[in-house]
Amino acid sequence: MARKGNLLFSLFLIAVAGYAAFSAWHWSFKTGFFPLSLAIPLIILVVIHLVLEVVGGSEKASGPAVETEFAADVPPEVARRRVVEIFSWIAGFILIVFLLGFPAAVPLFIFSYLKMQSHIGWLQSITLTAGAWGFFYFLFQRLLNLQFEAGVIQTWMGW
Amino acid sequence: MEAFIDGLFLVLQWKAFSLMMVGMALGFIVGLLPGIGGAATLALMIPFVFKMSPVEAFAFLLGMHSVAATTGDITSILFGVPGEGLSAATVVDGYPMAKRGEAGRALGAALMSSLVGALIGALTLALAIPIVRPLVLTFGSPELFMLSVIGIACITSLSGLSLRAQLRGFATGLLGLLLSTIGQERQSGSLRFDMGLMYLWEGLDLVPVLVGIFAIPELVDLAVRGTSIAGDKPAVNLSSGVMEGIKDTFRHFWLVFRCSAIGVFVGIMPGAGGGVAQWMAYAHAVQSAKDAKEREGFGKGDVRGVLGPGAANNSKEGGDLIPTIAFGVPGSGAMAILLGAFMIMGLVPGPDMLTKHLTVTYSMVWTLAIANIITVLLSLAVLNHLAKLTNIRGGLIIPFVLLLVFVGSYTANNHIADLIVTFCFGLLGYIMVRLGWPRPPLVLGFVLGKLVETYLFISVSRYGFSWLSQPLVLLLIAVMVVVVVYPFVREKPAWAGGGD
Repeated sequence: MARKGNLLFSLFLIAVAGYAAFSAWHWSFKTGFFPLSLAIPLIILVVIHLVLEVVGGSEKASGPAVETEFAADVPPEVARRRVVEIFSWIAGFILIVFLLGFPAAVPLFIFSYLKMQSHIGWLQSITLTAGAWGFFYFLFQRLLNLQFEAGVIQTWMGW
Repeated sequence: MEAFIDGLFLVLQWKAFSLMMVGMALGFIVGLLPGIGGAATLALMIPFVFKMSPVEAFAFLLGMHSVAATTGDITSILFGVPGEGLSAATVVDGYPMAKRGEAGRALGAALMSSLVGALIGALTLALAIPIVRPLVLTFGSPELFMLSVIGIACITSLSGLSLRAQLRGFATGLLGLLLSTIGQERQSGSLRFDMGLMYLWEGLDLVPVLVGIFAIPELVDLAVRGTSIAGDKPAVNLSSGVMEGIKDTFRHFWLVFRCSAIGVFVGIMPGAGGGVAQWMAYAHAVQSAKDAKEREGFGKGDVRGVLGPGAANNSKEGGDLIPTIAFGVPGSGAMAILLGAFMIMGLVPGPDMLTKHLTVTYSMVWTLAIANIITVLLSLAVLNHLAKLTNIRGGLIIPFVLLLVFVGSYTANNHIADLIVTFCFGLLGYIMVRLGWPRPPLVLGFVLGKLVETYLFISVSRYGFSWLSQPLVLLLIAVMVVVVVYPFVREKPAWAGGGD
């Protein structure tokens, strides 16, 4: 699984670098030199890595790498389901910010997550949502005076 | 000496001191909020200084700015969300410590090393002002280019030592450099990789990239585990953990000192920025590991990975102020904004600040020192309670942290695309961690990319290729070679036995 993932990720990097090199090739020297001088070595390094993955077999890049490690004690099917769930929640949050704007999306998202995903009781969910919205409103909107765009629905409605 | 003492008394006057406390309170909150940097808050607060005296204004602004750098580490450690763009490196080891039930220790170490770093930065500022001119003037664009390349060379230390790990490290570093080329090219103004989107004309902003690549994967992991951040670890005695972190700072004092020196040096160099200082300090902390076994702990919760960036972030503030005060050359974006405050106050940075207004200059040194001492003491009093947040169920924490993550990212450009960028980099970060591709080199490449390109073009335009033979450039090339080769020389058995 990890080997297949590494192969796919290597191909993804080659595609990105290939696109960058192809684009930079057609630009003026000043514009294209730097991206081209990065994209070509990137392709070379990833191709070498790809060859090692294919010929040398799967191997977690040995030696102590400076990187964190994820939990390994959750069954893979459960882990996969939870990953899809959380990324869906994040994508959903972005979607409602796009549709309704931050001020409306914040309470809606917090309440939905607490109630549907975390299975918290009504009273606790409402209290925490109110707290989060109050924090958002007073700190970001009133104190720091951050400007949040209206959602597309409000814009369509002319609000 | 008299001006030095007078500077202290000026800061301790009730009005200046009260304003410094107000600034510190604001800086504390801003530092905790992901993405909203000290520089943005400085810009927001500039209009309030019009009626203040110079000492009061700088006590207010510097008190706020220096504290934001300190408290940014708190969010990084507790939730894996960089509180500041400058505290991303703290996530790498600070958050794993929190997951291990050692949040108190990590917080104690971060705050105490920040204090030591800030004091070293302030002391350097006090001592360096009269003698720094030759150093800054020696560093032209070729030397600054080489310094940036040395930063990139740190990728060796941020990756594993086997051939495949090095390939992955340098590949992600190059990807980071490539991502930094998105947007308008500075020399000719041509657009690169903008995909027809006006949003990309200015390039990718650091905040959504950093917050996405570090915070989202950790939140996903928290959701997958379905526990609290500290997992099922017993509620350890957190107060002893904080004390342990403080002791760690003094146990590794020489490392903290060296990382502070890195921060000061990077701060003095105009345009290098704190993002570079923290990663160079982190890479240096990794290099300080005695053997492969010791090195293995980095990224998994080694306290030295918290001490190094913590010290460098804060010492950088003192370093940043040196060229700003002495020549009116801002060392960073925040210092450029502070330069605006100089103008408002009717002060002209340069020789006057070292003669006529020397007392005001020293009051800044004292503000840096006093604000950090007070912040750390106050923070230590509440750290136990903050550390307990890591024992709250993940399902309760996730929506609130997500809210902070996305509001923080949104402040980069006030554009919905900021959220999409955060999401995309979150996904990329998650895949990279899952597959064992290191994220720090990507961030380092991204932070340094624009600097490398700019300084390279200025150097070539101005000197052709003769700059490559300048003595200081040759010295810096030698330093770069040492930075690249040193980990392999030190870890020869691991490299030889890597099987690659």
